[in-house]
Amino acid sequence: MEHVIIGLSGGVDSAVAAAQIVQQGYSAEGLFMKNWEEDSHYCTSEEDYKDALQICELLGIPLRSVNFSKEYWDKVFKHFLNEYKLGRTPNPDILCNTEIKFKTFLDYAKEMGADKIATGHYARILRDNKSLRLARGIDQNKDQSYFLYRLNQKQLSQAVFPIGDSDKMTVRQKAKELGFHNHCKKDSTGICFIGERHFKEFLQRYLPAQPGDIINEEGKHVGQHEGLMYYTMGQRQGLGIGGGHGTLEKPWYVLDKNIEKNTLIVGQGNDHPGLYHRSLSCSHIHWISGKIPESKLLSAKIRYRAQDAPCKIKMTSEQSISVVFEEPQFAIAPGQSIVFYGQDICLGGAIIDSRWN
Amino acid sequence: MPYFDHSATTPVHPDVLELMKTTQRDVYGNPSSVHTQGRKSKSIIEKARTQLADAIGAKPDQIIFTSGGSESNNQVLWSMINRNIKHIISTEIEHPAILNVLRAMEQFGINHDCISVDRNGIMNFHEFENSIRETTGLISVMLANNEVGTIQPVKKIVKTAKQKSIPVHTDAVQCLGKIPIDVDELGIDYLSLSAHKFYGPKGLGILYIRDKESISALIIGGGQEMGLRAGTENIALIAGMGLAAEIATTNLHSHVHHLRNLETQFKTGLKLFFPNAIFNGDDIRKLPGLINVSFPGFKSDIMIAKLDRAGIAVSSGSACGSGIVKPSDILRAMEVEDELNICTLRISFGRTNTADEIANLLSEINSITKS
Repeated sequence: MEHVIIGLSGGVDSAVAAAQIVQQGYSAEGLFMKNWEEDSHYCTSEEDYKDALQICELLGIPLRSVNFSKEYWDKVFKHFLNEYKLGRTPNPDILCNTEIKFKTFLDYAKEMGADKIATGHYARILRDNKSLRLARGIDQNKDQSYFLYRLNQKQLSQAVFPIGDSDKMTVRQKAKELGFHNHCKKDSTGICFIGERHFKEFLQRYLPAQPGDIINEEGKHVGQHEGLMYYTMGQRQGLGIGGGHGTLEKPWYVLDKNIEKNTLIVGQGNDHPGLYHRSLSCSHIHWISGKIPESKLLSAKIRYRAQDAPCKIKMTSEQSISVVFEEPQFAIAPGQSIVFYGQDICLGGAIIDSRWN
Repeated sequence: MPYFDHSATTPVHPDVLELMKTTQRDVYGNPSSVHTQGRKSKSIIEKARTQLADAIGAKPDQIIFTSGGSESNNQVLWSMINRNIKHIISTEIEHPAILNVLRAMEQFGINHDCISVDRNGIMNFHEFENSIRETTGLISVMLANNEVGTIQPVKKIVKTAKQKSIPVHTDAVQCLGKIPIDVDELGIDYLSLSAHKFYGPKGLGILYIRDKESISALIIGGGQEMGLRAGTENIALIAGMGLAAEIATTNLHSHVHHLRNLETQFKTGLKLFFPNAIFNGDDIRKLPGLINVSFPGFKSDIMIAKLDRAGIAVSSGSACGSGIVKPSDILRAMEVEDELNICTLRISFGRTNTADEIANLLSEINSITKS
């Protein structure tokens, strides 16, 4: 019998994933991962652990715990800070999947005698001849293939995504039927280690901020920013300029950053042309199949919560691709991942370096 | 299922369980009531108090019941605030119910020194002597350590302390039924015990107090426990602890003999197929049946999981609230390198363990370390 170790966060998705694994007749074990050390020496992940424990007790499987916070710090968080320092907008959850969940965790699970690991991701693994393909989760709204685009064939061959065929409502319903306490637990939002905290405050603890000027496209001074790293492309809130409610003035948006001059460039209105670009260049390319797709006409998402849009890709060097979209895309942010799809199949992706029209 | 984690807690002795069941069912009067039912409850508590006093060579009126070792330790330490004590001496390898209390007391202007231990986990006596100040008002040193089992030189500590009239507390939670305890022989002023470490119930402990004037209540309310611990007594648990203490002391020698045999069997067997095993602690000055052993190259969390899968319970240094195994602070204090620290198991034998179970444990460890 195949032995599967399920990563349990205490949330409803991984809980139902665990239930599916047990029902499918695998020999199963839960593993609770701690990836972030809190400032206090008391264990604040205990609440989540208790939820995970209740689930395992109901399912009759053992639960183990492991601390990967050192690995997370070294392989994910340092990179995250570095990217912010460069004024880019990194996505640590993608790196967490490649470096922690499907590397450190996978290796650990194998050391524990597992054949495979399971997670509560909304994505599917399809077998196609000899190769494995990553497909979007059935629930279009929850699909998490975007976060998994850097997985390779070997990682996919050792992974199971039990809830990729379900939608969130069904998952919650199932959790309720099974008597899981966490069935109505709120979905986690934002970056896992920041949680509900104020982002600016969090970043301030690790990076010194350099305040500077906010200018419009003509170079006219319109305000002061608190440090470029606190802003991202297309951001509207928190600029501290503009009339706000009740004025006829259009709201201001972040168009660009000038790292050398430490200036933030803004424009008015969400239809401002400076917010839209048709082309981008990206590097750190990864293809799930191991090679570039034959069709160069694909669709792509430039951030998790974006619709994928038709585009054409061209290799410009061994390490970089240029992408041209049919329609201009809103707020393309360097540091974010562009993820390519062919219909429902997630093909791979890359990290955005620059954009233009 | 072989259980080798008796230093964490023990299963309740069947006779104790039986007594607690009948007591819980039949004896319901409030011990503070003067009617028949109340008197019945009261006499059961007083019987248990005598059993505990006998177990440690104390007088019954020197024993108060608490909710366990942690409360007993807290009560001794926090009492020092009322006595205007400014300095306390302890060791680096105490239980968190001492160390974290000492840290919490700093904000009230009470300082402490934690004496280091040697490679075997024995307190450095010279350092202890040198850290005694004019203002030192209490010394708290555990009788035996919970992770490595080393027995501390408490009697010697008391001798030194007496010259300066400093009272001494000892956390003896790991000790009853494993080594003889006599409060007069030790010369100790306060001593903590917890019932669940010697086949009694969880949630009950005692504090031995030589001189009641020197201590104050942590839980204030009615006048129970000579005014030193308010709250209606848990009669069934108290009766259970009394009997457990009596059994533990009556059977001390045969129990120790049994534990030593198991320990020898385990150590001899392990050395045969895993000669690299490193036994931490002191060979002689230690509790019987408690083994702290490092398996270089084999991480303890993985070993614990694999043994658990085979139905065998062992533990490692300490785990936080979410079950994460951390390097042991006690082994760190003993200057065991972190790399070895995280490859360490604590195996603690008990009353019902058998030679066959040890053979099973050895064979499982063998297969884990061979694969």
